[in-house]
Amino acid sequence: MNMVLHELKAYRKSTILWTCALVAMVVLLLSMFPTFARDADQFKSLLQTMPEAVLKAVGVQIETITSILGFYAYVFMYISLCGAIQAMNLGTSILSKELREKTADFLLTKPVTRTQIVTSKLLAALISLLITNVIYLAASTIMVLAVKNGDFEISKLMMISVTLFFIQLIFMALGFFVSVLVLKIKSVLPISLGTVFAFFIIGMLGATTGDGAIRYFTPFKYFDPAYIMQHASYEGPFLWLGLGIVMAAIVISYVVYRKRDIHAV
Amino acid sequence: MHVIEVNNLTKTYGSARGITNLSFQVEQGEIFGFIGPNGAGKSTTIRTLLGLIYPTSGNAKIFGKDCIQYGPEIKKEIGYLPSEVFYYDNMKVKDLLQYSASFYKKDCRKRIAELAGIMDLDLNKKIDDLSLGNKKKVGIVQGLLHEPKLIILDEPTSGLDPLMQQRFFDLLEAENKRGATILFSSHILSEVQRLCDRVAIIKEGKLIQLEKISTLQENNYKRFKLETKAPVSPDYFQLNGVNELKVEGTTVSFLYRGNVNAMMSKIAAIDLANILVEEPDLEEIFMHYYEKED
Repeated sequence: MNMVLHELKAYRKSTILWTCALVAMVVLLLSMFPTFARDADQFKSLLQTMPEAVLKAVGVQIETITSILGFYAYVFMYISLCGAIQAMNLGTSILSKELREKTADFLLTKPVTRTQIVTSKLLAALISLLITNVIYLAASTIMVLAVKNGDFEISKLMMISVTLFFIQLIFMALGFFVSVLVLKIKSVLPISLGTVFAFFIIGMLGATTGDGAIRYFTPFKYFDPAYIMQHASYEGPFLWLGLGIVMAAIVISYVVYRKRDIHAV
Repeated sequence: MHVIEVNNLTKTYGSARGITNLSFQVEQGEIFGFIGPNGAGKSTTIRTLLGLIYPTSGNAKIFGKDCIQYGPEIKKEIGYLPSEVFYYDNMKVKDLLQYSASFYKKDCRKRIAELAGIMDLDLNKKIDDLSLGNKKKVGIVQGLLHEPKLIILDEPTSGLDPLMQQRFFDLLEAENKRGATILFSSHILSEVQRLCDRVAIIKEGKLIQLEKISTLQENNYKRFKLETKAPVSPDYFQLNGVNELKVEGTTVSFLYRGNVNAMMSKIAAIDLANILVEEPDLEEIFMHYYEKED
């Protein structure tokens, strides 16, 4: 437990910053909705003049964008991008930080198993993400209620918002996996930004070409807001795929880390 | 009971050498020196003992238990001071020591205060702001705060000023009297000589010699370097106990073992420009071990 608390303290600043960033983003973007909704027809006709591929790539769906949920779904694409960066950063830092700051010796010469170390660190990262998500969920819900122009199903809003946590879990696990596989990570940001944007762009390409198979290759498309709005449920195969990726990345990380030689630096 | 028992320990890093078939024992209550030049395999051995790296073959036991299999259990009684100390920078010394103490199920507050007093360490400073020597002190307190039965030191004195070094050695001697066994790795012969009962000399991953310090001290070589005002004949220094004599014009250098007075009166008889008498470095000591083996 002492390690979990220590790690939580270490991530405290970055968790607060990222949470603020996410909240600020959702507040800012949603505050544009009233103006947008007032001139909805004009906007729609403006959007129709744009090439369809572009609209799809940036995640605009003309039929729904003037409803509050549709608008939120559009905004959420960028929220999830931001959230993914936070999670990937966190996941990648967890273990690589010890090697970079050369504190691995400190921890590993204490009477704890490596499994305990990894578990504590994962738990701390998980708690950080949970805190972020609870605050984000509250802020986004309040904001949507404040700017809404008509009735909507609040359960669907929640279902969309919660996918932020799912996406973050996947990216955290990926980051963790990378930090265990790559021996020495000098700087976390290029790795996490690179990976996250690569997946994001894959998602944009997939949306443009309309190629359904591409969805499997980017976590950003596992939880489609349009589908959630229609069916009030998640898509089973993608939910399992996401879960599978998280489990696999974490299990492999444990196995590799337990056997790894920790060299002096 | 052997506190440390290393059996045919081998660690290779790919094709690079680590340690080869290393075997030695450290007895309960002794201060055991572990010396060798940089890259000889001292740290590799210590890191294997601590379970930071895994042996390629062979094994090591601490307190009679395999150091990998029972790692977490035996580490309760081990205090470790790494050669380079890096700690979580944005923490205060106090917080770091408390974090360190939280891993051991005992109250260490009193001991922390005591040790910090002895080592003259300010507990309220941020680790970031500490000098190398002060970071080292944090490392010392961190390694000793849980009153371990085995203390493992990997080149511990770098960065400490002579006064602190002395206090640190006193501290180690006190810990030793209390019953702690100490494994002291160093490349500085004099500190090992001063503190240790027995010493293992390691070079290129192999154990060259395991001796009592008293035996080592009998082989007490001194390196002499002289600059004379007039050239001397090489024969002048050809006497018993002189080794590796080199005479180049007015500079003379040799290793000497024997009665210092005899040598000094010999030197006093010539007109000197400069003189240097020093402990031979480890390499030179090793040369003698090689020579002896031949």
